Amino acid sequence: MKIVVCIKQVPATSADKRYTDDLRLDRNGVEAIINPLDEYAIEQALRLVDDGSVENVTYLSMGPEQASEALRRALAMGGDDAVLITDPALAGADEWATAKVLAAALDKLAPDVALMGMASDDARGSLVPGAVAAMRDLPLLSYGSELAVADGAARVRRLSATGFDWITAPLPLVATVTDQVGEPRYASLKGIMAAKRKGLETWSLADLGLSADELSGAALTQVTDVRPPEAKPPTERIENLPPAEAATKIADWLDARKLI
Amino acid sequence: MSNDILFLAEFAGGKPARSALELATGAAELATQSGGSAVALAYGSGAADGATGLGAHGAARAVVLGDDDRPAITLAASVIAAVRDADALAVLAPATPNGRDLAAALVGTLHVPAFGPVRAARLADGVLETEQATLQGSAITTSRPADGAPSPSIVLVLANTFTPTEPGSGSAEVIQAPAAAESAFAKATVVESHEADAKVVNLEEATVIVAGGRGVGGEDGFGPLRELAGALGGAVGASRAAADAGWIPYQLQIGQTGKVVKPSLYIGAGISGAIQHRVGMQTAEHVIAINRDPDAPIGDFADLFVVGDLFQIIPALTDEIRRRTGSSKA
Repeated sequence: MKIVVCIKQVPATSADKRYTDDLRLDRNGVEAIINPLDEYAIEQALRLVDDGSVENVTYLSMGPEQASEALRRALAMGGDDAVLITDPALAGADEWATAKVLAAALDKLAPDVALMGMASDDARGSLVPGAVAAMRDLPLLSYGSELAVADGAARVRRLSATGFDWITAPLPLVATVTDQVGEPRYASLKGIMAAKRKGLETWSLADLGLSADELSGAALTQVTDVRPPEAKPPTERIENLPPAEAATKIADWLDARKLI
Repeated sequence: MSNDILFLAEFAGGKPARSALELATGAAELATQSGGSAVALAYGSGAADGATGLGAHGAARAVVLGDDDRPAITLAASVIAAVRDADALAVLAPATPNGRDLAAALVGTLHVPAFGPVRAARLADGVLETEQATLQGSAITTSRPADGAPSPSIVLVLANTFTPTEPGSGSAEVIQAPAAAESAFAKATVVESHEADAKVVNLEEATVIVAGGRGVGGEDGFGPLRELAGALGGAVGASRAAADAGWIPYQLQIGQTGKVVKPSLYIGAGISGAIQHRVGMQTAEHVIAINRDPDAPIGDFADLFVVGDLFQIIPALTDEIRRRTGSSKA
């Protein structure tokens, strides 16, 4: 049983973000991390290795060359090997192009489960997993708070409007998991040392049999403007008041806005 | 290409979700600009009977794709067939798990542009234009389909991007769903369904939310918050820390990995205001934070920040609100 975990390198939450003249994120000198929600996918895959239901975990990422750092960090948590897809033609790739590239790479790697986090921290579209499933004509099990694999099928526990469901589909498939799978493990010193000896291949678009033309450049969408968010009016504060007086002031504030 | 605007209309518990009414309104607005019609693709329990009612919010036609609460992805083939058949300018989808799954299936199958989650969508010179907050809200980007990109554009729409119009007298004409091709998406099946231990409300529909975080201290700590929510006619929500601790069901978690809410009033008690929580509630119209820590990050984006002990302030506030609303009724 083999799992490929797709991960994305994103700017750290605390990092200052700047844009280049062609309206792309300037990644130079910006602290980068594994997308935090992808760490749960890594943790889920490694738990399936721990309980013996999965033998092999490969990490897959698309990004600039420095995204290999994210893959090394993932390998330090566990797993076997990694593949980075990097190509100058992929700068500015949108969700459709990203899905197309990952789908081509997953065709080559042919895992039983292609596992992803539920969203990326930077763009939050969450469309890549489902688009990859559609392109590969595979079932999608999404938003699992737990993933199990056995007997040629996988199943996820997924929140419903009023409770939760167990949903199953035959392998191979694409799955996504939420932050409820359990806290991601830390990389041990031993893990970090071991990661240096694990295989990390780099593939170009040509290695996937894809051309920039087939990817419509790298996007079916174009960004026409980037601007800072609107400034918010300053926060009003109520401090150092006895509870009853504070309550009166809050009620006045609500009254003035016709909220009570 | 027609100028129609399609939208995914989710139903649950026999009636349309708030997102269905919002997207009906948004699709009708865009259709007015494009010179086409707003067309609903309805699914979920109640869709068969309720689809025609979407006409009251601007839908001219409706296609009913399913009438039960199974995961929407299993209907993907029907949605894809309906979208292919319609040859529309854009498809609006709610930025919910079901809406995202179906939008993704459309993007991957039809190879069309994807946008979102957006906080605004309009037509500029006949071209779709969307606005999106990216990189944890640090920038607002405006996007369009690339030159020569195929239609329709798939647009994930955040809750409360469009405000439902007052229901009018229109009714949507229900049209037959086209036959769907076979699809791997249909291979997913629900094998077990469980109800939550406690009855949970749908936070996405609430107009007032009182949310508790780590500072609430435990399951019992939510008692005063429930009292306040009751006095305000609202619902109780929580941060991830409170849900992880098991103090409240995950269905009530607000934030990046929980619900995205936009009530007219949000009161956050004992919530520090981490970015992951903020993205779930930052579009609330009015935000009050109550926290002991005068430096809590939530103080940076709340409209009113009350520094103090929530266990003293909230009961006092509940009493005061009951006194005022009680006396106004007398």
